[in-house]
Amino acid sequence: MKLLIVEDQAKTGQYLRQGLTEAGFNTELVADGNSGQQLALSGDYALLILDVMLPGRSGWQILHAVRSAGLDTPVLFLTAKDAVEDRVHGLELGADDYLVKPFAFSELLARVRSLLRRGSATQQETSLQLADLRLDLIRRRVERSGQRIDLTAKEFALLEMLLRRQGEVLPKSLIASQVWDMNFDSDTNVIEVAIRRLRLKIDDEFPNKLIHTVRGMGYVLEERGA
Amino acid sequence: MRRLSLSSRLALLFAACTAVVSLFAGVLFNRASEAHFIELDQQQLDGKLIGLRRALQDLQPGQREARLADELSRQADLSLRITGTDGQRWYDSSTQIPKDLPQPPGLSTISNDGTDYRVLNAPLYPDKADSPQLSLLLDITHHQHFLQRMQHLIWLTVGLSALATAVLGAWAARSGLRPLRRMSAVARGISAQSLNARLPEEQMPPELAEMAHSFNAMLARLDDSFQRLSAFSADIAHELRTPLSNLLTHTQVTLTRPRPIEDYREALHSNLEELQWMAQLVNDMLYLAKADHGLLMPKREPLELADETDVLLEFFAPLAEDAGVKLTREGNARIEGERSMLRRALSNLLDNALRFTPAEGDVSLRIVDQPNAVRISVENSGEGISAELLPRLFDRFYRADPARQEGSSEHAGLGLAITQSIVRAHGGQIRCESEAGWTRFVIELPKGD
Repeated sequence: MKLLIVEDQAKTGQYLRQGLTEAGFNTELVADGNSGQQLALSGDYALLILDVMLPGRSGWQILHAVRSAGLDTPVLFLTAKDAVEDRVHGLELGADDYLVKPFAFSELLARVRSLLRRGSATQQETSLQLADLRLDLIRRRVERSGQRIDLTAKEFALLEMLLRRQGEVLPKSLIASQVWDMNFDSDTNVIEVAIRRLRLKIDDEFPNKLIHTVRGMGYVLEERGA
Repeated sequence: MRRLSLSSRLALLFAACTAVVSLFAGVLFNRASEAHFIELDQQQLDGKLIGLRRALQDLQPGQREARLADELSRQADLSLRITGTDGQRWYDSSTQIPKDLPQPPGLSTISNDGTDYRVLNAPLYPDKADSPQLSLLLDITHHQHFLQRMQHLIWLTVGLSALATAVLGAWAARSGLRPLRRMSAVARGISAQSLNARLPEEQMPPELAEMAHSFNAMLARLDDSFQRLSAFSADIAHELRTPLSNLLTHTQVTLTRPRPIEDYREALHSNLEELQWMAQLVNDMLYLAKADHGLLMPKREPLELADETDVLLEFFAPLAEDAGVKLTREGNARIEGERSMLRRALSNLLDNALRFTPAEGDVSLRIVDQPNAVRISVENSGEGISAELLPRLFDRFYRADPARQEGSSEHAGLGLAITQSIVRAHGGQIRCESEAGWTRFVIELPKGD
């Protein structure tokens, strides 16, 4: 799975590549628009991460060229400008997502994974599982070690998201957006409380903890051994 | 093209008015004197004519000339010509009589060799058809001279009075416009440092008082906005200074000597928290800046407020339960607006309310559907906010509780400012009411169409 980053700011590009590479992606970085477009048009990439302002050729021009060539590679834009017209312009040209600097890397990673997942066919799962935690999507029931756990609708949705994306660090903003449909930066600690309450039901009575806090980044559901 | 100054324009107008008036008066006077002279001459000539006719009728042909000379000698400025029916000149009392005289009967005026005459033509025998013609000439040169002098005088008066009024008018206009100049002097003196300057309204003439009032009101608004803006910039610097100095200190201290890996991790985590806080601050400020520039343009989606707020209540439910606060909603209304923006605005209010409500307290959200507007209020029990703090609540970086520390994971104090911006972008208003025991934020949104 190869990703292309076109970013002219050396530090940003380098950190992005390092982060994405360490997250398990095969990542390529170029710093100017022209070579970015050449590579993008090769069709070898599963995802393009484009800065808008680039030397030689803007991110929009690259996107336009890619779409004109009939490629439907998902495109994630990075921009320092949060002007409404920019956003509209980008989406009209066929961008799939949009991140405004400054953004958190965990946010970028989560979105990259969402975009990559979007392409692959969603298999009709009937249940999700991690260790002895089992979530039945049809009967909407949750069990751990065979023990039935009662969850509210939102707790169920939250756990479902964590299970579907197990192993991924999910930033609070993404959780708020996916589970509660709250699509704005909020400094409220609602998510912390919700996670704490979910933990109380899922993890507290069991020695093998599954929900973990990644300090400063978000939450992850994974088995880390007893 | 450069326009004339107001004073020059007024001065010129004054001068023109005076010139017109004095010219009119002069011309009128001139005409009147001329008419008067003509009348006098006519009377004089008529009287003479009667005398001459009588003299000529009574006399025998031999005596005529002597009698005529005698008759005319009494008046030096009078001369006589008698013309026969065939046009032949019969008699001239003086050699200076011009050769050609006007033919029509009655009074006329001629000029010859620098001498002006009034000529009266009349038949010698008024009852005969082919009577010899009498032409009486009266030298009126001195009259004409008088009239000419009068004319000169009139022109002089016109010129001088126009000049005088121009000068006086300019002076009057300048002193009359002094309040305007004072106004412009004040305006000239105004810069970012002196926005508190004001015009003395009560000293202004009524025509300018209103303008001075508007001018002062404009200054007051500018002053207020500028104060807020300066405070905003100062606050930004202040807000960023704390996390920045934390970052600097912590990073430098960490790097001064080798440490166990755990310490580095801890340092990075701590930095991350500061950085996230700063990123949030910058994003919030950009949002506000966008609102200030009128770039916050809400979409107009039809929204059921009950549904929208229930989603929010569900979102905040864990927090409320945790805090032991009852969170309720009543009422419904339909409105047009942008879902995500209104959610953000209300979520700030709810978050705020929950934070200041003691355990066992209530937070209630009420929606009132009014004829032209929708009222959304978020009320919480708990200590009220004192009245003097209410107007400042929506100021940026304002924190009702001064003891609350800035920085890390705490709120930067932009939430209510953002809520206000969103409400305003929707054409609505927000205010806060509070008394001992409760605080209520009231949003009023206009109903589209």
